Amino acid sequence: MEITSSIHIGPFEIFYPLKPAVSPVQHYGKGNYPGRLFIVEGIDGSGKSTQLSLLHKWLESKGYGVVFSEWNSSPLVKDTTRLGKKKKLLTPATFSLIHSTDFADRTERSILPLLKAGAVVLCDRYIYTAFARDVARGMDREWVRGLYGFAVKPTVAFYFRVPLETAIGRVVGARDGFKFYEAGLDLGLTADPEDSFRMFQGRIIEEYEKMIPEFGLTTIDATLPVEAQQGQVRQIVQSHLENAKI
Amino acid sequence: MRQTYGKLLPGMRLSDLSGKLIVIEGTDGAGLTTQINLLKPWLEELGHAVLDTGMTRSRLAGEGIRRAKEGNNLGHLTQSLFYATDFIDRLENEIVPALRAGFIVLTDRYIYSLMARAIIRGMDSSWIRSIYSVALKPDAVYYLRIGIDQLLPRVVFSRRFDYWESGMDVYPGHDMYDSFCKYQAALLAEFDNLSKEYKFETVDASADEDVLCDHLKKRILGILEPTPAQTLVSDTHSELFETFTKRVLGNLFPATSNGEVPAANAMELSSSALITHAGSNGRGA
Repeated sequence: MEITSSIHIGPFEIFYPLKPAVSPVQHYGKGNYPGRLFIVEGIDGSGKSTQLSLLHKWLESKGYGVVFSEWNSSPLVKDTTRLGKKKKLLTPATFSLIHSTDFADRTERSILPLLKAGAVVLCDRYIYTAFARDVARGMDREWVRGLYGFAVKPTVAFYFRVPLETAIGRVVGARDGFKFYEAGLDLGLTADPEDSFRMFQGRIIEEYEKMIPEFGLTTIDATLPVEAQQGQVRQIVQSHLENAKI
Repeated sequence: MRQTYGKLLPGMRLSDLSGKLIVIEGTDGAGLTTQINLLKPWLEELGHAVLDTGMTRSRLAGEGIRRAKEGNNLGHLTQSLFYATDFIDRLENEIVPALRAGFIVLTDRYIYSLMARAIIRGMDSSWIRSIYSVALKPDAVYYLRIGIDQLLPRVVFSRRFDYWESGMDVYPGHDMYDSFCKYQAALLAEFDNLSKEYKFETVDASADEDVLCDHLKKRILGILEPTPAQTLVSDTHSELFETFTKRVLGNLFPATSNGEVPAANAMELSSSALITHAGSNGRGA
Protein backbone atom coordinates (compact mmCIF):
# COMPACT_ATOMS: atom_id res chain seq x y z
CA MET A 1 0.00 0.00 0.00
CA GLU A 2 1.46 3.34 -0.98
CA ILE A 3 1.97 5.97 1.66
CA THR A 4 0.53 9.17 0.29
CA SER A 5 0.17 11.45 3.28
CA SER A 6 1.62 12.25 6.66
CA ILE A 7 -0.03 14.11 9.50
CA HIS A 8 1.11 15.13 12.94
CA ILE A 9 -0.88 14.24 16.00
CA GLY A 10 0.70 15.46 19.20
CA PRO A 11 4.28 14.25 19.30
CA PHE A 12 3.62 11.55 16.70
CA GLU A 13 3.98 11.67 13.00
CA ILE A 14 1.31 9.53 11.45
CA PHE A 15 1.43 8.10 7.98
CA TYR A 16 -1.63 6.74 6.33
CA PRO A 17 -2.91 6.35 2.82
CA LEU A 18 -5.36 9.09 1.89
CA LYS A 19 -6.93 6.93 -0.79
CA PRO A 20 -7.88 3.36 0.06
CA ALA A 21 -6.15 0.56 -1.80
CA VAL A 22 -7.67 -0.43 -5.13
CA SER A 23 -11.13 -1.69 -4.33
CA PRO A 24 -11.75 -5.38 -4.97
CA VAL A 25 -15.27 -4.48 -5.96
CA GLN A 26 -14.13 -2.45 -8.93
CA HIS A 27 -11.08 -4.54 -9.50
CA TYR A 28 -11.78 -8.28 -9.62
CA GLY A 29 -14.77 -8.13 -11.94
CA LYS A 30 -12.93 -6.27 -14.66
CA GLY A 31 -9.66 -8.09 -14.27
CA ASN A 32 -8.08 -9.79 -17.25
CA TYR A 33 -6.20 -12.72 -15.77
CA PRO A 34 -4.06 -15.30 -17.52
CA GLY A 35 -6.17 -18.19 -16.15
CA ARG A 36 -9.61 -19.35 -17.28
CA LEU A 37 -12.76 -19.61 -15.18
CA PHE A 38 -15.48 -22.06 -16.20
CA ILE A 39 -18.55 -22.39 -14.03
CA VAL A 40 -21.72 -24.50 -14.14
CA GLU A 41 -25.19 -23.49 -13.04
CA GLY A 42 -28.60 -25.15 -12.96
CA ILE A 43 -31.21 -26.46 -10.55
CA ASP A 44 -30.71 -29.58 -8.44
CA GLY A 45 -30.98 -32.61 -10.71
CA SER A 46 -29.86 -30.76 -13.85
CA GLY A 47 -26.72 -32.93 -14.07
CA LYS A 48 -24.30 -29.99 -13.93
CA SER A 49 -21.97 -31.55 -11.35
CA THR A 50 -21.60 -34.70 -13.48
CA GLN A 51 -20.73 -32.55 -16.48
CA LEU A 52 -18.19 -30.52 -14.54
CA SER A 53 -16.52 -33.61 -13.19
CA LEU A 54 -16.17 -35.05 -16.71
CA LEU A 55 -14.72 -31.74 -17.92
CA HIS A 56 -12.30 -31.77 -14.98
CA LYS A 57 -10.95 -35.22 -15.90
CA TRP A 58 -10.59 -34.26 -19.55
CA LEU A 59 -8.68 -31.03 -18.77
CA GLU A 60 -6.34 -32.89 -16.44
CA SER A 61 -5.68 -35.52 -19.08
CA LYS A 62 -4.75 -32.71 -21.47
CA GLY A 63 -2.18 -31.47 -18.96
CA TYR A 64 -3.81 -28.28 -17.72
CA GLY A 65 -3.43 -27.07 -14.14
CA VAL A 66 -7.03 -27.45 -13.02
CA VAL A 67 -8.56 -26.45 -9.70
CA PHE A 68 -12.10 -27.16 -8.57
CA SER A 69 -14.08 -24.99 -6.16
CA GLU A 70 -17.48 -25.90 -4.84
CA TRP A 71 -20.28 -23.64 -3.63
CA ASN A 72 -20.42 -23.31 0.15
CA SER A 73 -17.06 -24.89 0.91
CA SER A 74 -14.92 -22.20 2.57
CA PRO A 75 -13.13 -23.73 5.57
CA LEU A 76 -13.50 -20.41 7.45
CA VAL A 77 -17.21 -19.97 6.86
CA LYS A 78 -18.91 -23.31 6.26
CA ASP A 79 -19.29 -24.17 9.97
CA THR A 80 -21.32 -21.00 10.47
CA THR A 81 -23.50 -21.83 7.48
CA ARG A 82 -24.00 -25.33 8.83
CA LEU A 83 -24.96 -23.96 12.26
CA GLY A 84 -27.45 -21.57 10.66
CA LYS A 85 -29.06 -24.33 8.64
CA LYS A 86 -29.12 -26.89 11.43
CA LYS A 87 -30.64 -24.52 13.99
CA LYS A 88 -32.82 -22.81 11.34
CA LEU A 89 -31.36 -19.43 12.24
CA LEU A 90 -31.14 -18.15 8.68
CA THR A 91 -33.48 -15.52 7.27
CA PRO A 92 -33.42 -14.66 3.55
CA ALA A 93 -30.97 -11.84 4.36
CA THR A 94 -28.54 -13.82 6.50
CA PHE A 95 -28.81 -16.80 4.13
CA SER A 96 -27.68 -14.44 1.39
CA LEU A 97 -24.90 -12.82 3.43
CA ILE A 98 -23.35 -15.99 4.81
CA HIS A 99 -23.16 -17.48 1.32
CA SER A 100 -21.55 -14.30 0.00
CA THR A 101 -19.04 -14.49 2.88
CA ASP A 102 -18.19 -18.04 1.88
CA PHE A 103 -17.82 -17.00 -1.74
CA ALA A 104 -15.66 -14.01 -0.76
CA ASP A 105 -13.26 -16.28 1.09
CA ARG A 106 -12.96 -18.64 -1.87
CA THR A 107 -12.48 -15.68 -4.22
CA GLU A 108 -9.77 -14.04 -2.11
CA ARG A 109 -7.86 -17.12 -1.16
CA SER A 110 -8.33 -19.47 -4.04
CA ILE A 111 -10.16 -18.41 -7.22
CA LEU A 112 -8.44 -15.06 -7.78
CA PRO A 113 -4.83 -16.01 -6.96
CA LEU A 114 -5.17 -19.17 -9.07
CA LEU A 115 -6.48 -17.21 -12.04
CA LYS A 116 -3.59 -14.79 -11.67
CA ALA A 117 -1.24 -17.77 -11.67
CA GLY A 118 -2.77 -18.98 -14.93
CA ALA A 119 -4.79 -21.96 -13.68
CA VAL A 120 -8.02 -23.30 -15.11
CA VAL A 121 -10.58 -22.84 -12.32
CA LEU A 122 -13.82 -24.83 -12.32
CA CYS A 123 -16.71 -23.79 -10.07
CA ASP A 124 -19.75 -25.89 -9.28
CA ARG A 125 -22.26 -23.07 -8.82
CA TYR A 126 -21.30 -19.41 -8.87
CA ILE A 127 -22.89 -16.02 -8.17
CA TYR A 128 -25.90 -16.87 -10.36
CA THR A 129 -26.94 -19.52 -7.83
CA ALA A 130 -27.04 -16.78 -5.20
CA PHE A 131 -28.94 -14.41 -7.49
CA ALA A 132 -31.54 -17.09 -8.25
CA ARG A 133 -32.00 -18.41 -4.72
CA ASP A 134 -31.84 -15.11 -2.85
CA VAL A 135 -34.29 -13.39 -5.16
CA ALA A 136 -36.58 -16.45 -4.97
CA ARG A 137 -36.45 -15.88 -1.19
CA GLY A 138 -37.57 -12.29 -1.59
CA MET A 139 -34.27 -10.39 -1.51
CA ASP A 140 -33.98 -7.26 -3.60
CA ARG A 141 -32.58 -8.13 -7.04
CA GLU A 142 -30.24 -5.12 -7.24
CA TRP A 143 -29.04 -5.49 -3.66
CA VAL A 144 -27.93 -9.08 -4.22
CA ARG A 145 -26.17 -8.22 -7.49
CA GLY A 146 -24.36 -5.40 -5.72
CA LEU A 147 -23.34 -7.70 -2.88
CA TYR A 148 -21.43 -9.90 -5.33
CA GLY A 149 -19.87 -6.95 -7.14
CA PHE A 150 -16.39 -8.30 -6.29
CA ALA A 151 -16.79 -11.55 -8.22
CA VAL A 152 -14.51 -12.37 -11.14
CA LYS A 153 -16.44 -12.62 -14.41
CA PRO A 154 -16.32 -16.22 -15.67
CA THR A 155 -14.75 -17.06 -19.03
CA VAL A 156 -17.84 -19.16 -19.72
CA ALA A 157 -20.90 -19.66 -17.50
CA PHE A 158 -22.79 -22.82 -18.50
CA TYR A 159 -26.46 -23.06 -17.62
CA PHE A 160 -27.84 -26.60 -17.70
CA ARG A 161 -31.45 -26.09 -18.63
CA VAL A 162 -33.88 -28.82 -17.71
CA PRO A 163 -37.67 -28.96 -17.24
CA LEU A 164 -38.67 -28.94 -13.57
CA GLU A 165 -40.35 -32.35 -13.66
CA THR A 166 -37.32 -34.03 -15.26
CA ALA A 167 -35.03 -32.63 -12.56
CA ILE A 168 -37.41 -33.61 -9.78
CA GLY A 169 -37.68 -37.13 -11.18
CA ARG A 170 -33.89 -37.43 -10.99
CA VAL A 171 -33.69 -35.97 -7.49
CA VAL A 172 -36.58 -37.67 -5.72
CA GLY A 173 -35.33 -41.22 -6.27
CA ALA A 174 -31.74 -40.35 -5.48
CA ARG A 175 -32.10 -38.97 -1.95
CA ASP A 176 -34.18 -39.65 1.11
CA GLY A 177 -36.12 -36.53 1.93
CA PHE A 178 -35.41 -32.84 1.40
CA LYS A 179 -33.51 -30.55 3.71
CA PHE A 180 -35.27 -27.53 5.19
CA TYR A 181 -33.58 -24.72 3.20
CA GLU A 182 -32.95 -26.85 0.09
CA ALA A 183 -36.71 -27.32 -0.25
CA GLY A 184 -37.37 -23.64 0.51
CA LEU A 185 -39.39 -24.67 3.57
CA ASP A 186 -38.23 -21.46 5.27
CA LEU A 187 -40.52 -19.55 2.93
CA GLY A 188 -43.58 -21.25 4.38
CA LEU A 189 -45.13 -21.80 0.94
CA THR A 190 -46.47 -25.18 1.97
CA ALA A 191 -45.73 -27.72 4.71
CA ASP A 192 -45.07 -30.64 2.36
CA PRO A 193 -41.33 -30.83 1.58
CA GLU A 194 -41.72 -32.19 -1.94
CA ASP A 195 -44.38 -29.63 -2.91
CA SER A 196 -42.29 -26.87 -1.38
CA PHE A 197 -39.20 -28.07 -3.26
CA ARG A 198 -41.18 -28.04 -6.51
CA MET A 199 -42.50 -24.49 -5.95
CA PHE A 200 -39.11 -23.17 -4.85
CA GLN A 201 -37.24 -24.72 -7.79
CA GLY A 202 -39.89 -23.29 -10.10
CA ARG A 203 -39.10 -19.80 -8.82
CA ILE A 204 -35.39 -20.46 -9.22
CA ILE A 205 -35.88 -21.52 -12.85
CA GLU A 206 -37.72 -18.26 -13.52
CA GLU A 207 -34.73 -16.33 -12.16
CA TYR A 208 -32.25 -18.37 -14.21
CA GLU A 209 -34.26 -17.74 -17.37
CA LYS A 210 -34.06 -13.98 -16.77
CA MET A 211 -30.31 -14.21 -16.24
CA ILE A 212 -29.55 -15.97 -19.55
CA PRO A 213 -29.69 -12.71 -21.53
CA GLU A 214 -28.66 -10.49 -18.59
CA PHE A 215 -25.32 -12.25 -18.05
CA GLY A 216 -24.90 -14.07 -21.36
CA LEU A 217 -25.13 -17.56 -19.85
CA THR A 218 -24.28 -20.38 -22.26
CA THR A 219 -27.27 -22.70 -22.27
CA ILE A 220 -26.85 -26.46 -22.56
CA ASP A 221 -29.89 -28.69 -23.12
CA ALA A 222 -29.65 -30.91 -20.05
CA THR A 223 -32.23 -33.39 -21.37
CA LEU A 224 -29.70 -34.62 -23.97
CA PRO A 225 -27.58 -37.72 -23.28
CA VAL A 226 -24.65 -37.06 -20.92
CA GLU A 227 -22.11 -37.69 -23.70
CA ALA A 228 -23.75 -35.23 -26.10
CA GLN A 229 -23.78 -32.49 -23.45
CA GLN A 230 -20.14 -33.17 -22.58
CA GLY A 231 -19.19 -32.96 -26.25
CA GLN A 232 -20.70 -29.47 -26.48
CA VAL A 233 -19.08 -28.35 -23.23
CA ARG A 234 -15.63 -29.55 -24.26
CA GLN A 235 -15.89 -27.89 -27.65
CA ILE A 236 -16.76 -24.54 -26.09
CA VAL A 237 -14.10 -24.83 -23.40
CA GLN A 238 -11.50 -25.84 -25.98
CA SER A 239 -12.13 -22.66 -27.96
CA HIS A 240 -11.24 -20.61 -24.85
CA LEU A 241 -8.08 -22.49 -24.01
CA GLU A 242 -5.90 -21.34 -26.85
CA ASN A 243 -3.07 -19.27 -25.42
CA ALA A 244 -3.85 -20.48 -21.90
CA LYS A 245 -0.73 -20.22 -19.80
CA ILE A 246 -0.58 -23.53 -17.96
CA MET B 1 -42.24 6.26 10.93
CA ARG B 2 -38.84 4.64 11.20
CA GLN B 3 -36.74 4.49 8.05
CA THR B 4 -33.89 2.46 6.62
CA TYR B 5 -30.98 3.79 4.59
CA GLY B 6 -32.79 2.90 1.39
CA LYS B 7 -33.62 -0.80 1.06
CA LEU B 8 -36.02 -2.94 3.04
CA LEU B 9 -35.36 -6.55 4.02
CA PRO B 10 -38.06 -9.11 3.21
CA GLY B 11 -40.61 -9.36 6.01
CA MET B 12 -39.44 -6.27 7.87
CA ARG B 13 -42.27 -3.97 8.95
CA LEU B 14 -41.25 -0.47 9.99
CA SER B 15 -44.65 0.75 11.12
CA ASP B 16 -44.64 -0.20 14.80
CA LEU B 17 -41.02 0.07 15.88
CA SER B 18 -41.81 2.32 18.81
CA GLY B 19 -38.59 1.89 20.83
CA LYS B 20 -35.50 4.04 20.55
CA LEU B 21 -32.32 3.06 18.76
CA ILE B 22 -29.31 4.74 20.34
CA VAL B 23 -25.88 4.21 18.85
CA ILE B 24 -22.60 4.71 20.70
CA GLU B 25 -19.84 4.91 18.08
CA GLY B 26 -16.13 5.45 18.16
CA THR B 27 -12.72 3.87 17.71
CA ASP B 28 -11.22 1.17 19.92
CA GLY B 29 -10.42 2.34 23.42
CA ALA B 30 -12.71 5.39 23.37
CA GLY B 31 -14.69 3.92 26.28
CA LEU B 32 -17.83 2.81 24.43
CA THR B 33 -18.38 -0.32 26.50
CA THR B 34 -17.77 1.55 29.78
CA GLN B 35 -20.41 4.12 28.86
CA ILE B 36 -22.96 1.49 27.86
CA ASN B 37 -22.38 -0.33 31.15
CA LEU B 38 -23.17 2.94 32.96
CA LEU B 39 -26.11 3.97 30.80
CA LYS B 40 -27.99 0.67 30.85
CA PRO B 41 -28.69 0.47 34.61
CA TRP B 42 -29.49 4.19 34.66
CA LEU B 43 -32.10 3.77 31.92
CA GLU B 44 -33.56 0.75 33.70
CA GLU B 45 -33.87 2.75 36.92
CA LEU B 46 -35.83 5.30 34.95
CA GLY B 47 -38.18 2.47 33.99
CA HIS B 48 -37.07 1.74 30.46
CA ALA B 49 -36.52 -1.77 29.14
CA VAL B 50 -33.07 -1.87 27.58
CA LEU B 51 -31.41 -4.19 25.08
CA ASP B 52 -27.68 -3.80 24.64
CA THR B 53 -25.95 -5.30 21.66
CA GLY B 54 -22.64 -5.04 19.89
CA MET B 55 -20.38 -6.49 17.26
CA THR B 56 -19.86 -10.27 17.01
CA ARG B 57 -22.61 -10.97 19.51
CA SER B 58 -24.94 -12.69 17.03
CA ARG B 59 -26.00 -16.26 17.61
CA LEU B 60 -25.35 -17.04 13.97
CA ALA B 61 -21.93 -15.57 13.22
CA GLY B 62 -20.32 -14.43 16.49
CA GLU B 63 -18.48 -17.65 17.16
CA GLY B 64 -17.51 -18.09 13.50
CA ILE B 65 -15.92 -14.63 13.39
CA ARG B 66 -14.01 -15.24 16.62
CA ARG B 67 -12.65 -18.50 15.26
CA ALA B 68 -11.77 -16.94 11.91
CA LYS B 69 -9.83 -14.18 13.68
CA GLU B 70 -7.70 -16.68 15.57
CA GLY B 71 -6.00 -17.77 12.39
CA ASN B 72 -3.94 -15.84 9.87
CA ASN B 73 -6.13 -16.33 6.86
CA LEU B 74 -9.14 -14.04 7.18
CA GLY B 75 -9.14 -11.84 4.08
CA HIS B 76 -10.41 -8.25 4.03
CA LEU B 77 -13.39 -8.94 1.83
CA THR B 78 -14.40 -12.02 3.79
CA GLN B 79 -14.00 -10.11 7.05
CA SER B 80 -16.26 -7.28 5.84
CA LEU B 81 -19.01 -9.68 4.79
CA PHE B 82 -18.73 -11.87 7.88
CA TYR B 83 -19.32 -8.77 10.02
CA ALA B 84 -22.25 -7.80 7.81
CA THR B 85 -23.77 -11.25 8.41
CA ASP B 86 -23.32 -10.79 12.16
CA PHE B 87 -24.92 -7.34 12.02
CA ILE B 88 -27.96 -8.36 9.98
CA ASP B 89 -28.58 -11.37 12.23
CA ARG B 90 -28.68 -9.04 15.24
CA LEU B 91 -30.74 -6.46 13.36
CA GLU B 92 -33.43 -8.98 12.46
CA ASN B 93 -33.43 -11.12 15.58
CA GLU B 94 -32.56 -8.69 18.37
CA ILE B 95 -32.80 -5.04 17.43
CA VAL B 96 -36.05 -5.01 15.47
CA PRO B 97 -38.01 -7.25 17.90
CA ALA B 98 -36.79 -5.13 20.82
CA LEU B 99 -37.78 -1.87 19.13
CA ARG B 100 -41.17 -3.39 18.36
CA ALA B 101 -41.59 -4.24 22.06
CA GLY B 102 -40.81 -0.62 22.98
CA PHE B 103 -37.27 -1.21 24.27
CA ILE B 104 -34.41 1.22 24.19
CA VAL B 105 -31.67 -0.42 22.15
CA LEU B 106 -28.17 0.66 23.15
CA THR B 107 -25.72 -0.51 20.56
CA ASP B 108 -21.95 -0.62 21.02
CA ARG B 109 -21.07 0.53 17.47
CA TYR B 110 -23.31 0.23 14.45
CA ILE B 111 -22.90 0.18 10.68
CA TYR B 112 -20.53 3.17 10.79
CA SER B 113 -17.69 1.25 12.46
CA LEU B 114 -18.30 -1.62 10.08
CA MET B 115 -18.17 0.71 7.08
CA ALA B 116 -15.07 2.54 8.34
CA ARG B 117 -13.20 -0.71 8.93
CA ALA B 118 -14.17 -2.06 5.51
CA ILE B 119 -13.22 1.16 3.70
CA ILE B 120 -9.81 1.22 5.37
CA ARG B 121 -9.34 -2.34 4.18
CA GLY B 122 -9.80 -1.22 0.60
CA MET B 123 -13.50 -1.92 0.12
CA ASP B 124 -15.36 0.38 -2.24
CA SER B 125 -17.33 2.86 -0.14
CA SER B 126 -20.42 2.77 -2.35
CA TRP B 127 -20.39 -1.04 -2.23
CA ILE B 128 -20.32 -1.19 1.56
CA ARG B 129 -22.96 1.56 1.82
CA SER B 130 -25.25 -0.39 -0.47
CA ILE B 131 -24.96 -3.50 1.72
CA TYR B 132 -25.87 -1.51 4.83
CA SER B 133 -28.69 0.34 3.07
CA VAL B 134 -31.01 -2.17 4.77
CA ALA B 135 -30.05 -0.91 8.26
CA LEU B 136 -32.44 1.18 10.34
CA LYS B 137 -31.71 4.86 10.81
CA PRO B 138 -31.06 5.34 14.53
CA ASP B 139 -32.63 7.96 16.78
CA ALA B 140 -29.21 9.21 17.84
CA VAL B 141 -25.54 8.52 17.12
CA TYR B 142 -23.09 9.64 19.81
CA TYR B 143 -19.58 9.58 18.42
CA LEU B 144 -17.08 9.24 21.24
CA ARG B 145 -14.06 10.84 19.64
CA ILE B 146 -10.58 10.44 21.04
CA GLY B 147 -7.28 11.43 19.44
CA ILE B 148 -4.37 9.03 19.18
CA ASP B 149 -2.21 10.94 21.65
CA GLN B 150 -4.95 10.55 24.29
CA LEU B 151 -5.62 6.97 23.27
CA LEU B 152 -2.04 5.72 23.57
CA PRO B 153 -1.81 6.04 27.39
CA ARG B 154 -5.00 3.95 27.69
CA VAL B 155 -3.41 1.27 25.55
CA VAL B 156 -0.20 1.35 27.53
CA PHE B 157 -1.83 1.27 30.97
CA SER B 158 -4.70 -1.12 30.41
CA ARG B 159 -5.63 -2.57 27.06
CA ARG B 160 -2.22 -3.34 25.57
CA PHE B 161 -1.75 -3.73 21.85
CA ASP B 162 -4.07 -6.18 20.16
CA TYR B 163 -3.42 -7.65 16.69
CA TRP B 164 -6.76 -6.53 15.21
CA GLU B 165 -7.08 -3.20 17.05
CA SER B 166 -3.63 -2.40 15.75
CA GLY B 167 -4.73 -3.20 12.22
CA MET B 168 -1.84 -5.60 11.76
CA ASP B 169 -3.80 -7.14 8.89
CA VAL B 170 -3.85 -3.77 7.11
CA TYR B 171 -0.46 -2.33 8.03
CA PRO B 172 1.79 -5.28 8.65
CA GLY B 173 5.07 -3.98 10.01
CA HIS B 174 7.77 -4.66 12.50
CA ASP B 175 5.72 -3.90 15.56
CA MET B 176 2.19 -3.26 16.70
CA TYR B 177 2.91 0.30 17.81
CA ASP B 178 3.59 1.49 14.26
CA SER B 179 0.60 -0.41 12.91
CA PHE B 180 -1.62 0.86 15.71
CA CYS B 181 -0.81 4.51 14.99
CA LYS B 182 -1.37 4.17 11.26
CA TYR B 183 -4.52 2.12 11.64
CA GLN B 184 -6.16 4.30 14.28
CA ALA B 185 -5.28 7.46 12.33
CA ALA B 186 -6.91 6.02 9.22
CA LEU B 187 -9.97 5.03 11.25
CA LEU B 188 -10.24 8.49 12.79
CA ALA B 189 -10.04 10.11 9.37
CA GLU B 190 -12.77 7.81 8.07
CA PHE B 191 -14.96 8.43 11.12
CA ASP B 192 -14.62 12.16 10.60
CA ASN B 193 -15.86 11.67 7.01
CA LEU B 194 -18.79 9.54 8.12
CA SER B 195 -19.56 11.97 10.93
CA LYS B 196 -20.37 14.73 8.46
CA GLU B 197 -22.37 12.50 6.14
CA TYR B 198 -24.44 10.81 8.85
CA LYS B 199 -24.62 13.79 11.25
CA PHE B 200 -23.06 12.18 14.29
CA GLU B 201 -23.21 14.05 17.55
CA THR B 202 -19.53 14.21 18.45
CA VAL B 203 -18.61 13.89 22.12
CA ASP B 204 -15.11 14.46 23.53
CA ALA B 205 -14.15 11.00 24.81
CA SER B 206 -10.89 12.14 26.40
CA ALA B 207 -12.95 13.58 29.29
CA ASP B 208 -13.37 11.78 32.62
CA GLU B 209 -15.81 8.86 32.24
CA ASP B 210 -18.35 10.27 34.74
CA VAL B 211 -18.33 13.69 33.06
CA LEU B 212 -18.79 11.97 29.71
CA CYS B 213 -21.61 9.84 31.07
CA ASP B 214 -23.46 12.84 32.57
CA HIS B 215 -23.25 14.53 29.22
CA LEU B 216 -24.61 11.47 27.40
CA LYS B 217 -27.44 11.12 29.96
CA LYS B 218 -28.54 14.70 29.31
CA ARG B 219 -28.50 14.16 25.57
CA ILE B 220 -30.41 10.87 25.84
CA LEU B 221 -33.09 12.39 28.11
CA GLY B 222 -33.69 14.90 25.36
CA ILE B 223 -34.88 12.20 22.96
CA LEU B 224 -36.91 10.12 25.44
CA GLU B 225 -40.45 10.75 26.53
CA PRO B 226 -40.79 10.92 30.35
CA THR B 227 -41.91 7.59 31.82
CA PRO B 228 -44.52 7.02 34.54
CA ALA B 229 -41.72 5.54 36.65
CA GLN B 230 -39.85 8.80 36.69
CA THR B 231 -42.72 10.50 38.47
CA LEU B 232 -42.87 7.84 41.19
CA VAL B 233 -40.74 7.91 44.31
CA SER B 234 -39.29 4.43 44.72
CA ASP B 235 -37.01 3.91 47.66
CA THR B 236 -36.87 0.14 47.92
CA HIS B 237 -35.57 -2.43 45.51
CA SER B 238 -38.91 -4.25 45.17
CA GLU B 239 -40.71 -1.03 44.34
CA LEU B 240 -38.20 -0.32 41.63
CA PHE B 241 -38.66 -3.79 40.20
CA GLU B 242 -42.44 -3.48 40.23
CA THR B 243 -42.26 -0.14 38.48
CA PHE B 244 -39.94 -1.62 35.90
CA THR B 245 -42.15 -4.61 35.12
CA LYS B 246 -45.25 -2.41 34.87
CA ARG B 247 -43.45 -0.25 32.40
CA VAL B 248 -42.41 -3.26 30.29
CA LEU B 249 -45.95 -4.58 30.35
CA GLY B 250 -47.34 -1.19 29.45
CA ASN B 251 -45.16 -1.15 26.38
CA LEU B 252 -45.90 -4.70 25.34
CA PHE B 253 -49.62 -4.87 26.01
CA PRO B 254 -50.94 -1.33 26.11
CA ALA B 255 -54.55 -2.44 25.56
CA THR B 256 -54.77 -5.16 28.21
CA SER B 257 -52.31 -4.11 30.88
CA ASN B 258 -53.61 -2.27 33.89
CA GLY B 259 -50.39 -2.64 35.81
CA GLU B 260 -51.78 -5.28 38.18
CA VAL B 261 -50.25 -8.43 36.73
CA PRO B 262 -47.93 -10.16 39.22
CA ALA B 263 -44.24 -9.61 38.54
CA ALA B 264 -43.42 -13.27 37.83
CA ASN B 265 -46.04 -13.41 35.12
CA ALA B 266 -44.88 -10.14 33.73
CA MET B 267 -41.40 -11.49 33.08
CA GLU B 268 -42.77 -14.61 31.40
CA LEU B 269 -45.05 -12.57 29.22
CA SER B 270 -42.33 -10.20 28.14
CA SER B 271 -39.98 -12.97 27.06
CA SER B 272 -42.65 -14.93 25.20
CA ALA B 273 -43.66 -11.77 23.37
CA LEU B 274 -40.12 -11.36 22.13
CA ILE B 275 -39.97 -14.94 20.89
CA THR B 276 -43.18 -14.47 18.96
CA HIS B 277 -41.76 -11.41 17.25
CA ALA B 278 -38.54 -13.21 16.37
CA GLY B 279 -40.58 -16.08 14.92
CA SER B 280 -42.68 -13.85 12.74
CA ASN B 281 -39.54 -12.22 11.48
CA GLY B 282 -38.38 -15.07 9.34
CA ARG B 283 -37.02 -17.81 11.61
CA GLY B 284 -38.39 -21.30 11.28
CA ALA B 285 -41.03 -22.33 13.78
